[in-house]
Amino acid sequence: MSDAAILNLVLWLPVAGMALVWALPESRPDKVRWATFWVMVLQFVLTVWLYLRFDAEQPGLQFATRLPWIPDWGVSYLIGLDGFNVLLVLLTAFLGPLVVAGSFSAITREVKLFHAMVFLIQFAMLGTFVAQDLFLFYLFWELMLVPMFLIIGIWGGERRIYATLKFVLYTAFGSILMLAAMIYLVWTLKTTTGVNSFAFADLYGVRLPVDAQTWLFAAFALSFAIKVPVVPLHTWLPDAHVEAPTAGSAILAGVLLKMGTYGFMKLGFPLFPEAAKLATPVVMSLAVISIVYGACLALVQTDIKKIIAYSSISHLGYVMLGLASLDLIGIQGAVIQMVSHGLTAAGLFMMIGMIYERCHTRDLAAYGGLAKILPLYSVFFMLLTLGAIGLPTTSGFTGEFLSLMGAFRAAWAAWEAGVSWPLWLVGLAVTGVVLGALYMLWFAQRFLFGKLKAPHLPIVDLTAREVAILGAIVIAMFALGLFPDEPMKKTELAARQYQQLVETGGSAFASVR
Amino acid sequence: MNAMSVILAMLPEHALLAGLCALILVEVAGGRGRTGLAVAFVAVAAATCAALALWFGGYAVAPFRGHFSISPQTEIAKAVILALALPVLLLSRDEFRDARFPLLLLSSLYGACLLVSSDSFLTLFLGLELMSLPVYVLVLLALQRVESAEAGLKYLILGGAATATFLMGASLLFGSSGTLSLAAFADALASPSPMTQAAVAMILCAFFLKAAVFPFHTWAPDAYEGASVPVTAYMATIIKAAVVLAVVRLFGKAEVTPQLAGLVALLPLVSIAWGNVAAIRQTSFRRMIAYSSIAHAGYLFFALLGAAGGRFQAVAFYVLAYGVMNLLAFSALPTGGDDAARDRIDNLKGLFRRRPFAAIVIGLAMLSLAGIPPLPGFVAKFLVFRNVMAAGHTWYAVLGLVGSYLGIYFYLRIIQYMFMSPDGAGVEDERPRRLAFGATLLCLVPVALLVLFPGWILGKF
Repeated sequence: MSDAAILNLVLWLPVAGMALVWALPESRPDKVRWATFWVMVLQFVLTVWLYLRFDAEQPGLQFATRLPWIPDWGVSYLIGLDGFNVLLVLLTAFLGPLVVAGSFSAITREVKLFHAMVFLIQFAMLGTFVAQDLFLFYLFWELMLVPMFLIIGIWGGERRIYATLKFVLYTAFGSILMLAAMIYLVWTLKTTTGVNSFAFADLYGVRLPVDAQTWLFAAFALSFAIKVPVVPLHTWLPDAHVEAPTAGSAILAGVLLKMGTYGFMKLGFPLFPEAAKLATPVVMSLAVISIVYGACLALVQTDIKKIIAYSSISHLGYVMLGLASLDLIGIQGAVIQMVSHGLTAAGLFMMIGMIYERCHTRDLAAYGGLAKILPLYSVFFMLLTLGAIGLPTTSGFTGEFLSLMGAFRAAWAAWEAGVSWPLWLVGLAVTGVVLGALYMLWFAQRFLFGKLKAPHLPIVDLTAREVAILGAIVIAMFALGLFPDEPMKKTELAARQYQQLVETGGSAFASVR
Repeated sequence: MNAMSVILAMLPEHALLAGLCALILVEVAGGRGRTGLAVAFVAVAAATCAALALWFGGYAVAPFRGHFSISPQTEIAKAVILALALPVLLLSRDEFRDARFPLLLLSSLYGACLLVSSDSFLTLFLGLELMSLPVYVLVLLALQRVESAEAGLKYLILGGAATATFLMGASLLFGSSGTLSLAAFADALASPSPMTQAAVAMILCAFFLKAAVFPFHTWAPDAYEGASVPVTAYMATIIKAAVVLAVVRLFGKAEVTPQLAGLVALLPLVSIAWGNVAAIRQTSFRRMIAYSSIAHAGYLFFALLGAAGGRFQAVAFYVLAYGVMNLLAFSALPTGGDDAARDRIDNLKGLFRRRPFAAIVIGLAMLSLAGIPPLPGFVAKFLVFRNVMAAGHTWYAVLGLVGSYLGIYFYLRIIQYMFMSPDGAGVEDERPRRLAFGATLLCLVPVALLVLFPGWILGKF
């Protein structure tokens, strides 16, 4: 089988999985769970194969499939891997089986529907990443709302209806403006160059006047910024995270939030380079505000899930900063940071889910000294915490350090050219690292150490299944921290292309096909 | 006019007429209701096939020159309208046991076919009335509640007002142009004379009323709620489809100039916003669908802003996607209890636990109506807004899209009720409905095609 066919298989496997799950009886939930798990594992194995086969030296799309789909509009089924998405696809496929395994004991009602929805969201997320056609991208982007709406709304906490409606209505508003911008963009492409196409590679070639670019960039950026989320558009996130079941939180934090930053990287900045450059001060300021404000909010939370939720806002601020810096190191750091945050945040959310299953409260004040009775749990929790605050040798360090370094290099260059504000912003962003260490360590201290306190005792330590899940995440986290070279090489060409696209405004990019 | 072309070109209409005659014979012979339904179903299916055959053959003749002509376009429009009537017939079995429903439905369909093939204001009027009159009776035919009579009367009076307005407009147009040909309307659009402008406004208002566009929509919620499920389904899909397709025919090749655009866009825009907002507060499912259909009428008329060449495609595709999804929702509604109890949205609470398949089907329909990709509703909406934007009306398109955003909430609320709420109070036992299930399956086929091969279907219009 050719590699392109394998990529298609990876993408469509969840759909087959949905059919499989639907055919199983509701009365045998374990069968449903294991079937889902093994399909997800198969998907991951295939993705690893693709990752290994991915040639870092070759620019542009690999394993591409292109089929005409709506020829009248120039829409095609165009998917493929490139340096932008290869790591994110790997991350998505990696978290898939873990999320399923993490829900074995948590999800006890509507088991079939739950697993069908996990498959559907997996399909939508992978589709969003591999789509190389704007129409297809939008299709998957919006499709994601449906399973998430149900996952939060059916298996969520007490205020789940409020949270899920807020999530959908927020995201859908951004999408509708993106849709308008998208139609305008494609129509402009058709009228100015005669090319009737939605393919990213063709759209990079559209030359728009700056004022039109500004409008379109605003529409795209709004949609992506809501998804990231960038302060002040973040208010849906704590609600959605807190009310979602563990699997929902892990998917949200692990992959969904990365769609926003991926959107900026793949579409927002490269499609509208002039407007993006004009907007850089705004984007950078908002990124830094997200870093600092998210950290401050995380500091004062008493709900353990909210701490991690707000820390996500802070961590994705680094990604935005790295992307906006247009520095090669910064861009690669941003990609690593995306993956790293996907690992640690998903891991931490699952750990919170595990303790919640045992104690049924998320109030931090109810806990203390857990290290005394839950040694295994505490070890994993500390490891993930250290990963989240970016201790050297963990992936968090690589991601944060490189993003900040890139931003600093760009800011220094600006300083030498006589512009001083970027340097101040980067300086402020560095304080976010300190704040990050502060809130996470303080959280761990109150949670794991001190006087033993728990809603009820005894609590059993991690089961073998849970250790396996967390072990996989921790290994991945250290692997990415210790050997960042290989994944970074796979993103390097894409990072260069991105940089070039934004700086030169598209002309150099005929080769991105 | 020659006999051959009359026989051949009006084949779909003849099939309906034959069906009508057969129905009367069956009724006279004292046949059972089931026979009548079967006869009607066969007749409509035959008419659909005839329309498809004529479309496939690419026939374009005018059996009554200047009044009635067919072209591939009219035939595919008829095929869509007639095909949508098939599930409606299957749905009717639960509400109507005798032959009255199929009889009235067939004559109304005859009017709809006439309407989309008309070339002059005379045939247009004939078609419009032939289509509407049976529906007034159909609304009353349910008469399971006191309000049905009120709703029927309201619909009758407002429908009469629309007819009068239409006739007034047509006669003004005749007075200024001296012709009854539909082409006079397209010319009048560009004319500065106040008389023709008044005529254009009146004719448009009449169609707005028939299609329930704000502020001429007030009859729709009452009529939809008061009528029974199959009649509501018929009004929401087929009547609306035929009316808007007739307007597309009326506009012909006329382009909507920027001066005119404000006029054409304003009411549909308000309609989109108002329908979507007012639907939020409804407690009756059919009333909610009525407001949703008011919003959708807005999108349909919005399509007129597009370039003349793409209008028919946009409207016909939209009508197909919208009609199929609406019928899908109606076909899966829970039964049990009396009509008023069944119609409450609360009745849908916890439906997924009781009947998962029905809940998923209704959920799909709601998502499609809300325009969530990759469902047909999204592709249809995309087509409309793409055409509007391509014609240079960028800001109208943006406003329309923002208006469509307002609709997401109330569609999601239905899904929330079905999947996330505990069982509604007083849910009674539900009898199995084999024919309605058949209607569901019948609708799922085009839905699957529209999702998987939208490009292929678009090419057919």
